Amino acid sequence: METLRNIFDFSDFPRKDVAVFGLFCVFLFIFPLIPHSSFSMATMIQFLMFALYGMGWNTIGGYGGQVDLGKAQFAGIGAYTTAVMLIRWNVPFWVSAPIGMGFAIIWSFVIGYPLFRMRGHYFAIATIATSLVLLDVFQVWDFVGGAQGLEIPLKKMPSFLYLQFRNDAYYYYILLFLFFIGFFYINWFRKSRLGFQLRAIKDNEEVARSLGINAHWCKIKAYAIATSFVAVVGSFHACYNFNIEPEDIMSLDLSILIAMMAMVGGAGSLWGPIIGAAVLVPLKSYLGSWLGGKAGLAGLDLVIYALIIMVIAAFEPRGIWGIVEKARRKRT
Amino acid sequence: MTPILEVQGVTKDFGGLRANNDISFSVQKGELLGLIGPNGAGKSTLFNCVAGVYNVTAGHIFFDGREITNKKPYEIARLGLARTFQIFVASGDLSVLENIMVGSFLRTHSRSVAKQRAEEIIDIMELGDHVDHWVSELPVAAQKRVAMATALATQPKMLLLDEVAAGLNPTEIDGMMALIRQIHYDMGINVMLIEHVMELVMNISHRVIVLDSGNLIAEGKPEEIKQNPEVIKAYLGERFVAQQRREGA
Repeated sequence: METLRNIFDFSDFPRKDVAVFGLFCVFLFIFPLIPHSSFSMATMIQFLMFALYGMGWNTIGGYGGQVDLGKAQFAGIGAYTTAVMLIRWNVPFWVSAPIGMGFAIIWSFVIGYPLFRMRGHYFAIATIATSLVLLDVFQVWDFVGGAQGLEIPLKKMPSFLYLQFRNDAYYYYILLFLFFIGFFYINWFRKSRLGFQLRAIKDNEEVARSLGINAHWCKIKAYAIATSFVAVVGSFHACYNFNIEPEDIMSLDLSILIAMMAMVGGAGSLWGPIIGAAVLVPLKSYLGSWLGGKAGLAGLDLVIYALIIMVIAAFEPRGIWGIVEKARRKRT
Repeated sequence: MTPILEVQGVTKDFGGLRANNDISFSVQKGELLGLIGPNGAGKSTLFNCVAGVYNVTAGHIFFDGREITNKKPYEIARLGLARTFQIFVASGDLSVLENIMVGSFLRTHSRSVAKQRAEEIIDIMELGDHVDHWVSELPVAAQKRVAMATALATQPKMLLLDEVAAGLNPTEIDGMMALIRQIHYDMGINVMLIEHVMELVMNISHRVIVLDSGNLIAEGKPEEIKQNPEVIKAYLGERFVAQQRREGA
Protein backbone atom coordinates (compact mmCIF):
# COMPACT_ATOMS: atom_id res chain seq x y z
CA MET A 1 0.00 0.00 0.00
CA GLU A 2 2.73 2.40 0.99
CA THR A 3 4.59 1.62 -2.23
CA LEU A 4 1.48 2.34 -4.28
CA ARG A 5 1.02 5.65 -2.52
CA ASN A 6 4.65 6.59 -3.08
CA ILE A 7 4.45 5.85 -6.81
CA PHE A 8 1.78 8.50 -7.28
CA ASP A 9 3.04 10.92 -4.66
CA PHE A 10 4.16 14.25 -6.10
CA SER A 11 3.50 16.24 -2.95
CA ASP A 12 7.11 17.42 -2.66
CA PHE A 13 6.71 19.43 -5.89
CA PRO A 14 4.84 22.72 -6.13
CA ARG A 15 1.31 22.27 -7.47
CA LYS A 16 2.20 24.37 -10.51
CA ASP A 17 4.88 21.92 -11.65
CA VAL A 18 2.52 18.97 -11.46
CA ALA A 19 -0.16 20.94 -13.33
CA VAL A 20 2.26 21.86 -16.11
CA PHE A 21 3.37 18.26 -16.39
CA GLY A 22 -0.28 17.14 -16.46
CA LEU A 23 -0.99 19.48 -19.36
CA PHE A 24 2.08 18.16 -21.13
CA CYS A 25 0.79 14.59 -20.64
CA VAL A 26 -2.53 15.58 -22.20
CA PHE A 27 -0.61 16.92 -25.18
CA LEU A 28 1.36 13.66 -25.40
CA PHE A 29 -1.88 11.66 -25.42
CA ILE A 30 -3.64 13.65 -28.12
CA PHE A 31 -0.63 14.44 -30.29
CA PRO A 32 -1.27 11.64 -32.86
CA LEU A 33 -4.88 12.82 -33.16
CA ILE A 34 -4.05 16.39 -34.13
CA PRO A 35 -2.78 16.98 -37.68
CA HIS A 36 0.96 16.47 -37.88
CA SER A 37 3.67 15.78 -40.41
CA SER A 38 5.46 12.45 -40.47
CA PHE A 39 8.62 14.38 -39.61
CA SER A 40 7.14 15.75 -36.40
CA MET A 41 5.80 12.28 -35.54
CA ALA A 42 9.29 10.82 -35.97
CA THR A 43 10.65 13.61 -33.78
CA MET A 44 8.09 12.89 -31.05
CA ILE A 45 9.00 9.20 -31.08
CA GLN A 46 12.65 10.18 -30.78
CA PHE A 47 11.70 12.47 -27.91
CA LEU A 48 10.02 9.65 -26.00
CA MET A 49 12.92 7.29 -26.64
CA PHE A 50 15.49 9.77 -25.45
CA ALA A 51 13.39 10.79 -22.47
CA LEU A 52 13.40 7.11 -21.44
CA TYR A 53 17.11 6.76 -22.07
CA GLY A 54 17.68 9.88 -19.99
CA MET A 55 15.45 8.70 -17.13
CA GLY A 56 17.48 5.52 -16.97
CA TRP A 57 20.77 7.39 -17.03
CA ASN A 58 19.46 9.75 -14.36
CA THR A 59 19.27 6.96 -11.74
CA ILE A 60 23.01 6.33 -11.72
CA GLY A 61 24.26 9.55 -13.29
CA GLY A 62 21.87 12.05 -11.73
CA TYR A 63 20.82 10.71 -8.34
CA GLY A 64 24.01 8.70 -7.89
CA GLY A 65 26.36 11.29 -9.40
CA GLN A 66 28.35 8.69 -11.37
CA VAL A 67 28.84 10.13 -14.86
CA ASP A 68 28.37 7.15 -17.13
CA LEU A 69 29.32 7.63 -20.78
CA GLY A 70 28.87 4.04 -21.90
CA LYS A 71 25.13 3.53 -21.96
CA ALA A 72 24.99 2.75 -25.70
CA GLN A 73 26.43 -0.72 -25.13
CA PHE A 74 23.28 -1.67 -23.23
CA ALA A 75 21.01 -0.22 -25.91
CA GLY A 76 22.99 -2.43 -28.28
CA ILE A 77 22.50 -5.53 -26.15
CA GLY A 78 18.75 -4.91 -26.05
CA ALA A 79 18.49 -4.18 -29.77
CA TYR A 80 20.61 -7.17 -30.80
CA THR A 81 18.78 -9.59 -28.52
CA THR A 82 15.45 -8.59 -30.00
CA ALA A 83 16.70 -8.62 -33.60
CA VAL A 84 18.60 -11.91 -33.39
CA MET A 85 15.78 -13.71 -31.60
CA LEU A 86 13.26 -12.43 -34.12
CA ILE A 87 15.33 -13.34 -37.17
CA ARG A 88 16.50 -16.76 -36.00
CA TRP A 89 13.67 -18.06 -33.84
CA ASN A 90 10.76 -15.76 -34.65
CA VAL A 91 10.47 -14.56 -31.04
CA PRO A 92 8.05 -11.64 -30.46
CA PHE A 93 9.22 -8.29 -29.08
CA TRP A 94 7.34 -8.70 -25.80
CA VAL A 95 9.35 -11.84 -25.03
CA SER A 96 12.71 -10.80 -26.39
CA ALA A 97 12.71 -7.34 -24.77
CA PRO A 98 12.70 -8.74 -21.19
CA ILE A 99 15.33 -11.29 -22.18
CA GLY A 100 17.47 -8.53 -23.68
CA MET A 101 16.98 -6.59 -20.46
CA GLY A 102 18.18 -9.65 -18.56
CA PHE A 103 21.32 -9.96 -20.69
CA ALA A 104 22.02 -6.26 -20.31
CA ILE A 105 21.63 -6.46 -16.52
CA ILE A 106 23.98 -9.45 -16.33
CA TRP A 107 26.54 -7.53 -18.42
CA SER A 108 26.07 -4.46 -16.21
CA PHE A 109 26.97 -6.55 -13.15
CA VAL A 110 30.02 -8.01 -14.89
CA ILE A 111 31.46 -4.63 -15.85
CA GLY A 112 29.91 -2.65 -12.97
CA TYR A 113 31.83 -4.57 -10.33
CA PRO A 114 35.28 -3.40 -11.50
CA LEU A 115 34.05 -0.06 -12.92
CA PHE A 116 32.72 1.19 -9.60
CA ARG A 117 36.10 0.66 -7.99
CA MET A 118 36.93 3.87 -9.86
CA ARG A 119 35.63 7.34 -9.18
CA GLY A 120 34.97 10.58 -11.02
CA HIS A 121 36.70 11.08 -14.35
CA TYR A 122 38.35 7.67 -14.21
CA PHE A 123 34.96 6.04 -13.99
CA ALA A 124 33.59 8.08 -16.91
CA ILE A 125 36.55 7.20 -19.14
CA ALA A 126 36.36 3.52 -18.21
CA THR A 127 32.66 3.37 -19.17
CA ILE A 128 33.52 4.79 -22.60
CA ALA A 129 36.19 2.13 -22.99
CA THR A 130 33.90 -0.78 -22.13
CA SER A 131 31.30 0.45 -24.58
CA LEU A 132 33.84 0.80 -27.39
CA VAL A 133 35.23 -2.67 -26.71
CA LEU A 134 31.76 -4.17 -27.01
CA LEU A 135 31.18 -2.18 -30.20
CA ASP A 136 34.32 -3.71 -31.70
CA VAL A 137 33.23 -7.19 -30.66
CA PHE A 138 29.85 -6.76 -32.36
CA GLN A 139 31.48 -5.43 -35.51
CA VAL A 140 33.42 -8.66 -36.07
CA TRP A 141 30.89 -11.12 -34.68
CA ASP A 142 29.26 -12.88 -37.63
CA PHE A 143 26.44 -14.42 -35.59
CA VAL A 144 24.99 -10.94 -35.11
CA GLY A 145 25.72 -9.70 -38.61
CA GLY A 146 29.14 -8.13 -38.10
CA ALA A 147 29.72 -4.56 -39.19
CA GLN A 148 26.72 -4.61 -41.56
CA GLY A 149 24.31 -5.20 -38.74
CA LEU A 150 20.94 -6.87 -39.02
CA GLU A 151 17.87 -6.32 -41.15
CA ILE A 152 14.56 -7.25 -39.57
CA PRO A 153 12.25 -9.07 -42.01
CA LEU A 154 8.83 -7.50 -42.44
CA LYS A 155 5.75 -9.53 -41.55
CA LYS A 156 2.94 -9.69 -44.09
CA MET A 157 0.43 -8.25 -41.64
CA PRO A 158 0.93 -5.55 -39.03
CA SER A 159 1.54 -7.25 -35.73
CA PHE A 160 1.31 -6.09 -32.14
CA LEU A 161 3.39 -9.05 -30.98
CA TYR A 162 6.29 -8.24 -33.29
CA LEU A 163 5.84 -4.49 -33.06
CA GLN A 164 5.37 -4.00 -36.77
CA PHE A 165 2.90 -1.35 -37.84
CA ARG A 166 2.19 0.66 -40.97
CA ASN A 167 1.21 3.70 -38.94
CA ASP A 168 3.73 5.35 -36.66
CA ALA A 169 0.99 6.30 -34.19
CA TYR A 170 0.97 2.71 -32.88
CA TYR A 171 4.68 2.87 -32.16
CA TYR A 172 4.06 6.19 -30.52
CA TYR A 173 1.43 4.87 -28.12
CA ILE A 174 3.46 1.81 -27.16
CA LEU A 175 6.39 4.05 -26.41
CA LEU A 176 4.13 6.41 -24.45
CA PHE A 177 3.00 3.44 -22.37
CA LEU A 178 6.65 2.56 -21.62
CA PHE A 179 7.33 6.23 -20.90
CA PHE A 180 4.70 6.35 -18.17
CA ILE A 181 5.88 3.08 -16.61
CA GLY A 182 9.38 4.53 -16.52
CA PHE A 183 8.22 7.88 -15.20
CA PHE A 184 6.22 6.47 -12.31
CA TYR A 185 8.96 4.00 -11.50
CA ILE A 186 11.46 6.87 -11.20
CA ASN A 187 9.01 8.83 -9.09
CA TRP A 188 8.98 5.90 -6.67
CA PHE A 189 12.70 5.25 -6.99
CA ARG A 190 13.84 8.76 -6.06
CA LYS A 191 12.13 8.49 -2.67
CA SER A 192 13.05 4.87 -2.03
CA ARG A 193 15.78 3.63 0.28
CA LEU A 194 18.14 3.11 -2.65
CA GLY A 195 17.31 6.58 -4.00
CA PHE A 196 18.20 8.21 -0.69
CA GLN A 197 21.37 6.16 -0.36
CA LEU A 198 22.50 7.12 -3.85
CA ARG A 199 21.92 10.79 -3.16
CA ALA A 200 23.92 10.43 0.05
CA ILE A 201 26.76 8.81 -1.92
CA LYS A 202 26.68 11.67 -4.41
CA ASP A 203 26.77 14.15 -1.54
CA ASN A 204 29.70 12.59 0.29
CA GLU A 205 30.72 8.99 -0.20
CA GLU A 206 32.76 8.74 2.98
CA VAL A 207 29.89 9.96 5.13
CA ALA A 208 27.50 7.64 3.31
CA ARG A 209 29.67 4.64 4.12
CA SER A 210 29.85 5.64 7.76
CA LEU A 211 26.03 5.48 7.80
CA GLY A 212 26.06 1.80 6.92
CA ILE A 213 25.72 2.22 3.16
CA ASN A 214 27.61 -0.25 0.99
CA ALA A 215 28.39 2.36 -1.65
CA HIS A 216 29.87 -0.07 -4.15
CA TRP A 217 26.86 -2.36 -4.13
CA CYS A 218 24.39 0.57 -4.23
CA LYS A 219 26.03 1.91 -7.37
CA ILE A 220 25.99 -1.52 -9.01
CA LYS A 221 22.26 -1.84 -8.26
CA ALA A 222 21.50 1.60 -9.67
CA TYR A 223 23.63 0.83 -12.71
CA ALA A 224 21.49 -2.25 -13.35
CA ILE A 225 18.32 -0.15 -13.09
CA ALA A 226 19.67 2.40 -15.55
CA THR A 227 20.64 -0.46 -17.82
CA SER A 228 17.15 -1.96 -17.87
CA PHE A 229 15.67 1.30 -19.15
CA VAL A 230 18.26 1.63 -21.88
CA ALA A 231 18.02 -2.02 -22.97
CA VAL A 232 14.24 -1.88 -23.44
CA VAL A 233 14.47 1.28 -25.54
CA GLY A 234 17.21 -0.46 -27.54
CA SER A 235 14.86 -3.38 -28.23
CA PHE A 236 12.19 -0.93 -29.30
CA HIS A 237 14.68 0.84 -31.55
CA ALA A 238 15.39 -2.43 -33.38
CA CYS A 239 11.68 -3.01 -34.12
CA TYR A 240 11.00 0.61 -35.00
CA ASN A 241 13.94 1.02 -37.40
CA PHE A 242 13.81 -2.53 -38.89
CA ASN A 243 17.56 -2.32 -39.05
CA ILE A 244 20.43 -2.09 -36.59
CA GLU A 245 24.06 -1.39 -37.13
CA PRO A 246 26.72 -1.51 -34.43
CA GLU A 247 28.06 1.91 -35.47
CA ASP A 248 24.60 3.36 -34.91
CA ILE A 249 23.15 1.72 -31.81
CA MET A 250 26.39 1.25 -29.88
CA SER A 251 28.20 4.43 -30.87
CA LEU A 252 29.88 6.86 -28.54
CA ASP A 253 27.57 9.54 -29.98
CA LEU A 254 24.55 7.74 -28.56
CA SER A 255 26.23 7.28 -25.17
CA ILE A 256 26.97 10.98 -24.95
CA LEU A 257 23.50 11.98 -26.14
CA ILE A 258 21.93 9.78 -23.45
CA ALA A 259 24.01 11.43 -20.77
CA MET A 260 23.26 14.88 -22.20
CA MET A 261 19.48 14.47 -21.91
CA ALA A 262 19.64 14.40 -18.13
CA MET A 263 22.59 16.76 -17.79
CA VAL A 264 21.06 19.51 -19.90
CA GLY A 265 17.59 19.11 -18.42
CA GLY A 266 18.73 18.69 -14.84
CA ALA A 267 20.59 15.70 -13.47
CA GLY A 268 19.12 14.28 -10.30
CA SER A 269 15.66 15.70 -10.83
CA LEU A 270 12.51 13.92 -11.94
CA TRP A 271 11.78 16.44 -14.71
CA GLY A 272 15.37 16.78 -15.92
CA PRO A 273 15.55 14.05 -18.58
CA ILE A 274 12.13 15.01 -19.94
CA ILE A 275 13.09 18.68 -20.25
CA GLY A 276 16.44 17.72 -21.73
CA ALA A 277 14.86 15.45 -24.34
CA ALA A 278 12.21 18.07 -25.15
CA VAL A 279 14.95 20.62 -25.87
CA LEU A 280 17.66 18.49 -27.44
CA VAL A 281 15.72 16.05 -29.60
CA PRO A 282 13.89 18.66 -31.70
CA LEU A 283 17.14 20.61 -31.91
CA LYS A 284 18.90 17.47 -33.12
CA SER A 285 16.18 16.61 -35.64
CA TYR A 286 15.87 20.08 -37.12
CA LEU A 287 19.59 20.74 -37.14
CA GLY A 288 20.11 17.35 -38.76
CA SER A 289 17.57 17.94 -41.53
CA TRP A 290 18.70 21.53 -42.06
CA LEU A 291 22.43 20.89 -42.08
CA GLY A 292 22.29 17.41 -43.56
CA GLY A 293 21.60 18.82 -47.01
CA LYS A 294 24.45 21.28 -46.93
CA ALA A 295 27.81 19.82 -47.81
CA GLY A 296 30.59 20.79 -45.45
CA LEU A 297 28.28 21.57 -42.54
CA ALA A 298 27.53 17.96 -41.60
CA GLY A 299 29.41 17.99 -38.29
CA LEU A 300 28.06 21.32 -37.09
CA ASP A 301 25.34 19.80 -34.91
CA LEU A 302 28.05 18.08 -32.84
CA VAL A 303 29.80 21.42 -32.40
CA ILE A 304 26.55 22.90 -31.12
CA TYR A 305 26.12 20.05 -28.57
CA ALA A 306 29.65 20.61 -27.40
CA LEU A 307 28.89 24.31 -26.89
CA ILE A 308 25.74 23.49 -24.92
CA ILE A 309 27.69 21.12 -22.66
CA MET A 310 30.33 23.78 -22.00
CA VAL A 311 27.74 26.44 -21.19
CA ILE A 312 25.89 24.10 -18.82
CA ALA A 313 29.08 22.96 -17.11
CA ALA A 314 30.28 26.53 -16.64
CA PHE A 315 27.09 28.22 -15.47
CA GLU A 316 24.69 25.72 -13.96
CA PRO A 317 25.76 22.12 -13.40
CA ARG A 318 22.21 21.22 -12.43
CA GLY A 319 20.97 22.04 -15.93
CA ILE A 320 17.83 23.84 -17.02
CA TRP A 321 15.91 22.65 -14.00
CA GLY A 322 18.70 23.95 -11.81
CA ILE A 323 18.19 27.42 -13.29
CA VAL A 324 14.46 27.24 -12.56
CA GLU A 325 15.05 26.15 -8.97
CA LYS A 326 17.66 28.82 -8.39
CA ALA A 327 15.28 31.50 -9.64
CA ARG A 328 12.60 30.18 -7.29
CA ARG A 329 14.85 30.17 -4.25
CA LYS A 330 15.84 33.75 -4.95
CA ARG A 331 12.24 34.86 -5.07
CA THR A 332 11.32 33.37 -1.69
CA MET B 1 31.64 -4.50 33.79
CA THR B 2 32.02 -5.54 30.19
CA PRO B 3 33.76 -3.35 27.66
CA ILE B 4 31.72 -2.21 24.67
CA LEU B 5 34.84 -1.19 22.77
CA GLU B 6 38.21 -2.77 23.22
CA VAL B 7 41.35 -1.70 21.38
CA GLN B 8 44.30 -4.09 21.73
CA GLY B 9 47.79 -3.14 20.65
CA VAL B 10 46.74 -1.15 17.59
CA THR B 11 49.60 0.07 15.41
CA LYS B 12 49.14 2.08 12.24
CA ASP B 13 51.93 2.96 9.82
CA PHE B 14 51.71 5.29 6.86
CA GLY B 15 54.74 4.34 4.82
CA GLY B 16 57.60 4.99 7.19
CA LEU B 17 55.57 7.10 9.58
CA ARG B 18 54.14 5.44 12.66
CA ALA B 19 50.90 7.28 13.46
CA ASN B 20 49.72 4.94 16.22
CA ASN B 21 52.09 2.81 18.24
CA ASP B 22 50.76 -0.23 20.14
CA ILE B 23 47.72 1.48 21.64
CA SER B 24 45.43 -0.41 24.00
CA PHE B 25 42.41 0.87 25.87
CA SER B 26 38.81 -0.09 26.43
CA VAL B 27 35.49 1.65 26.93
CA GLN B 28 33.09 0.15 29.46
CA LYS B 29 29.36 0.08 28.90
CA GLY B 30 27.93 3.29 30.27
CA GLU B 31 31.28 5.05 30.36
CA LEU B 32 31.91 8.36 28.66
CA LEU B 33 35.47 8.34 27.39
CA GLY B 34 37.45 11.31 26.13
CA LEU B 35 40.45 11.04 23.84
CA ILE B 36 42.76 14.05 23.75
CA GLY B 37 46.15 14.92 22.39
CA PRO B 38 47.98 17.74 20.62
CA ASN B 39 47.86 18.21 16.85
CA GLY B 40 49.39 15.29 15.00
CA ALA B 41 49.21 12.98 18.01
CA GLY B 42 47.35 10.35 16.00
CA LYS B 43 43.86 10.89 17.41
CA SER B 44 42.12 10.97 14.07
CA THR B 45 44.14 8.03 12.79
CA LEU B 46 43.10 5.95 15.79
CA PHE B 47 39.53 7.06 15.31
CA ASN B 48 39.62 6.09 11.65
CA CYS B 49 41.11 2.69 12.49
CA VAL B 50 38.25 2.02 14.88
CA ALA B 51 35.66 3.22 12.35
CA GLY B 52 37.15 1.07 9.59
CA VAL B 53 38.36 3.85 7.31
CA TYR B 54 41.96 2.66 7.72
CA ASN B 55 43.18 -0.91 8.05
CA VAL B 56 45.43 -1.35 11.06
CA THR B 57 49.04 -2.45 10.63
CA ALA B 58 48.84 -4.60 13.75
CA GLY B 59 46.49 -5.18 16.65
CA HIS B 60 42.84 -6.02 17.23
CA ILE B 61 39.65 -4.07 17.83
CA PHE B 62 36.54 -5.54 19.42
CA PHE B 63 33.11 -3.94 19.55
CA ASP B 64 30.24 -5.34 21.58
CA GLY B 65 31.86 -8.78 21.81
CA ARG B 66 32.77 -9.01 18.12
CA GLU B 67 36.03 -8.43 16.36
CA ILE B 68 35.79 -5.50 13.96
CA THR B 69 39.45 -5.22 13.01
CA ASN B 70 39.77 -4.12 9.36
CA LYS B 71 36.05 -4.43 8.71
CA LYS B 72 34.62 -1.93 6.24
CA PRO B 73 33.03 1.31 7.55
CA TYR B 74 29.53 0.31 6.47
CA GLU B 75 29.83 -3.09 8.18
CA ILE B 76 30.91 -1.41 11.40
CA ALA B 77 28.03 1.07 11.16
CA ARG B 78 25.59 -1.81 10.74
CA LEU B 79 26.93 -3.44 13.91
CA GLY B 80 25.94 -0.30 15.80
CA LEU B 81 29.09 1.82 15.95
CA ALA B 82 28.32 5.25 14.50
CA ARG B 83 30.64 8.19 13.99
CA THR B 84 30.61 11.85 13.01
CA PHE B 85 33.10 13.70 10.84
CA GLN B 86 35.19 16.71 11.80
CA ILE B 87 34.05 18.57 8.75
CA PHE B 88 30.60 17.67 7.54
CA VAL B 89 30.89 18.40 3.84
CA ALA B 90 27.64 18.22 1.98
CA SER B 91 27.32 19.50 -1.54
CA GLY B 92 23.75 20.48 -0.84
CA ASP B 93 21.66 17.93 -2.65
CA LEU B 94 19.88 16.76 0.49
CA SER B 95 17.87 18.77 2.98
CA VAL B 96 18.41 18.37 6.73
CA LEU B 97 15.43 16.03 7.02
CA GLU B 98 16.60 13.97 4.05
CA ASN B 99 20.11 13.73 5.48
CA ILE B 100 18.79 12.33 8.72
CA MET B 101 16.47 9.98 6.82
CA VAL B 102 19.51 8.51 5.06
CA GLY B 103 20.68 7.48 8.54
CA SER B 104 17.36 5.99 9.59
CA PHE B 105 17.07 4.06 6.30
CA LEU B 106 19.84 1.81 7.65
CA ARG B 107 17.34 -0.03 9.85
CA THR B 108 14.23 0.07 7.68
CA HIS B 109 13.14 -0.16 4.06
CA SER B 110 9.96 1.83 4.60
CA ARG B 111 10.04 5.50 3.76
CA SER B 112 7.34 6.43 6.28
CA VAL B 113 9.15 4.64 9.12
CA ALA B 114 12.42 6.29 8.14
CA LYS B 115 10.76 9.69 8.09
CA GLN B 116 9.07 9.16 11.44
CA ARG B 117 12.35 8.14 13.11
CA ALA B 118 14.14 11.09 11.54
CA GLU B 119 11.48 13.44 12.91
CA GLU B 120 11.85 12.00 16.40
CA ILE B 121 15.57 12.69 16.29
CA ILE B 122 15.00 16.16 14.89
CA ASP B 123 12.91 16.90 17.99
CA ILE B 124 15.62 15.64 20.33
CA MET B 125 18.35 17.57 18.54
CA GLU B 126 16.19 20.71 18.32
CA LEU B 127 16.58 21.01 14.57
CA GLY B 128 12.89 21.65 13.95
CA ASP B 129 13.51 25.09 12.44
CA HIS B 130 15.95 23.76 9.85
CA VAL B 131 14.27 20.65 8.37
CA ASP B 132 13.87 22.06 4.87
CA HIS B 133 17.20 23.84 4.70
CA TRP B 134 20.28 22.54 2.99
CA VAL B 135 23.03 21.62 5.41
CA SER B 136 25.44 24.08 3.82
CA GLU B 137 23.07 26.94 4.62
CA LEU B 138 23.21 26.35 8.37
CA PRO B 139 25.53 27.87 10.98
CA VAL B 140 28.39 25.63 12.14
CA ALA B 141 26.74 24.64 15.41
CA ALA B 142 23.61 23.48 13.64
CA GLN B 143 25.68 21.61 11.04
CA LYS B 144 27.37 19.68 13.84
CA ARG B 145 23.98 18.83 15.30
CA VAL B 146 22.81 17.57 11.89
CA ALA B 147 25.91 15.37 11.65
CA MET B 148 25.19 13.95 15.11
CA ALA B 149 21.50 13.51 14.31
CA THR B 150 22.32 11.63 11.11
CA ALA B 151 24.64 9.28 12.98
CA LEU B 152 22.06 8.80 15.76
CA ALA B 153 19.40 7.94 13.19
CA THR B 154 21.27 4.71 12.44
CA GLN B 155 20.27 3.61 15.97
CA PRO B 156 23.79 2.95 17.21
CA LYS B 157 24.94 1.35 20.46
CA MET B 158 27.92 3.64 20.55
CA LEU B 159 28.69 7.03 19.04
CA LEU B 160 32.17 8.30 18.23
CA LEU B 161 32.27 12.10 18.10
CA ASP B 162 35.13 13.71 16.20
CA GLU B 163 35.81 17.28 17.38
CA VAL B 164 32.19 18.30 17.78
CA ALA B 165 33.17 21.41 19.71
CA ALA B 166 35.68 22.75 17.20
CA GLY B 167 34.65 26.14 15.91
CA LEU B 168 31.90 26.69 18.46
CA ASN B 169 31.60 29.66 20.83
CA PRO B 170 31.37 29.17 24.62
CA THR B 171 27.56 29.30 24.68
CA GLU B 172 27.36 26.75 21.89
CA ILE B 173 29.86 24.53 23.70
CA ASP B 174 27.59 24.56 26.76
CA GLY B 175 24.69 23.51 24.55
CA MET B 176 26.81 20.77 23.00
CA MET B 177 27.74 19.44 26.45
CA ALA B 178 24.10 19.23 27.45
CA LEU B 179 23.34 17.44 24.20
CA ILE B 180 26.13 14.88 24.65
CA ARG B 181 24.97 14.21 28.19
CA GLN B 182 21.45 13.72 26.91
CA ILE B 183 22.64 11.23 24.27
CA HIS B 184 24.77 9.36 26.78
CA TYR B 185 22.48 9.23 29.78
CA ASP B 186 18.94 9.64 28.48
CA MET B 187 19.24 7.77 25.20
CA GLY B 188 21.65 5.21 26.66
CA ILE B 189 24.15 5.44 23.81
CA ASN B 190 27.81 5.09 24.76
CA VAL B 191 29.74 8.18 23.71
CA MET B 192 33.43 8.50 23.00
CA LEU B 193 34.81 11.97 22.32
CA ILE B 194 37.84 13.10 20.42
CA GLU B 195 38.46 16.67 21.34
CA HIS B 196 40.70 19.62 21.19
CA VAL B 197 38.53 21.77 23.39
CA MET B 198 39.73 20.83 26.89
CA GLU B 199 36.82 22.38 28.69
CA LEU B 200 34.32 20.05 27.10
CA VAL B 201 36.29 16.84 27.59
CA MET B 202 37.30 17.59 31.17
CA ASN B 203 33.76 18.50 32.13
CA ILE B 204 31.84 15.53 30.86
CA SER B 205 34.21 12.57 30.50
CA HIS B 206 34.38 9.86 33.13
CA ARG B 207 37.82 8.90 31.97
CA VAL B 208 40.32 10.48 29.60
CA ILE B 209 43.11 8.94 27.56
CA VAL B 210 45.91 11.02 26.10
CA LEU B 211 47.87 10.45 22.91
CA ASP B 212 51.15 12.10 22.04
CA SER B 213 53.23 11.37 18.92
CA GLY B 214 51.32 8.16 18.36
CA ASN B 215 51.78 6.81 21.90
CA LEU B 216 49.27 6.51 24.69
CA ILE B 217 50.92 8.53 27.43
CA ALA B 218 48.28 8.76 30.12
CA GLU B 219 44.93 7.39 31.19
CA GLY B 220 42.73 8.36 34.10
CA LYS B 221 40.04 10.57 35.57
CA PRO B 222 39.92 14.15 34.25
CA GLU B 223 41.27 15.56 37.51
CA GLU B 224 44.23 13.16 37.41
CA ILE B 225 44.93 13.99 33.79
CA LYS B 226 45.01 17.69 34.60
CA GLN B 227 47.73 17.03 37.17
CA ASN B 228 49.75 14.58 35.12
CA PRO B 229 53.12 16.21 34.32
CA GLU B 230 53.55 14.22 31.09
CA VAL B 231 50.24 15.47 29.80
CA ILE B 232 50.87 19.02 30.85
CA LYS B 233 54.17 18.99 29.04
CA ALA B 234 52.90 17.27 25.89
CA TYR B 235 49.53 18.77 25.45
CA LEU B 236 48.66 21.69 27.61
CA GLY B 237 51.94 23.37 26.80
CA GLU B 238 54.18 25.87 28.50
CA ARG B 239 51.52 28.52 28.72
CA PHE B 240 49.21 26.31 30.75
CA VAL B 241 52.06 25.34 33.08
CA ALA B 242 52.89 28.97 33.58
CA GLN B 243 49.27 29.77 34.28
CA GLN B 244 49.05 26.99 36.86
CA ARG B 245 52.12 28.37 38.60
CA ARG B 246 50.57 31.79 38.72
CA GLU B 247 47.39 30.37 40.19
CA GLY B 248 49.42 28.41 42.72
CA ALA B 249 51.39 31.47 43.74
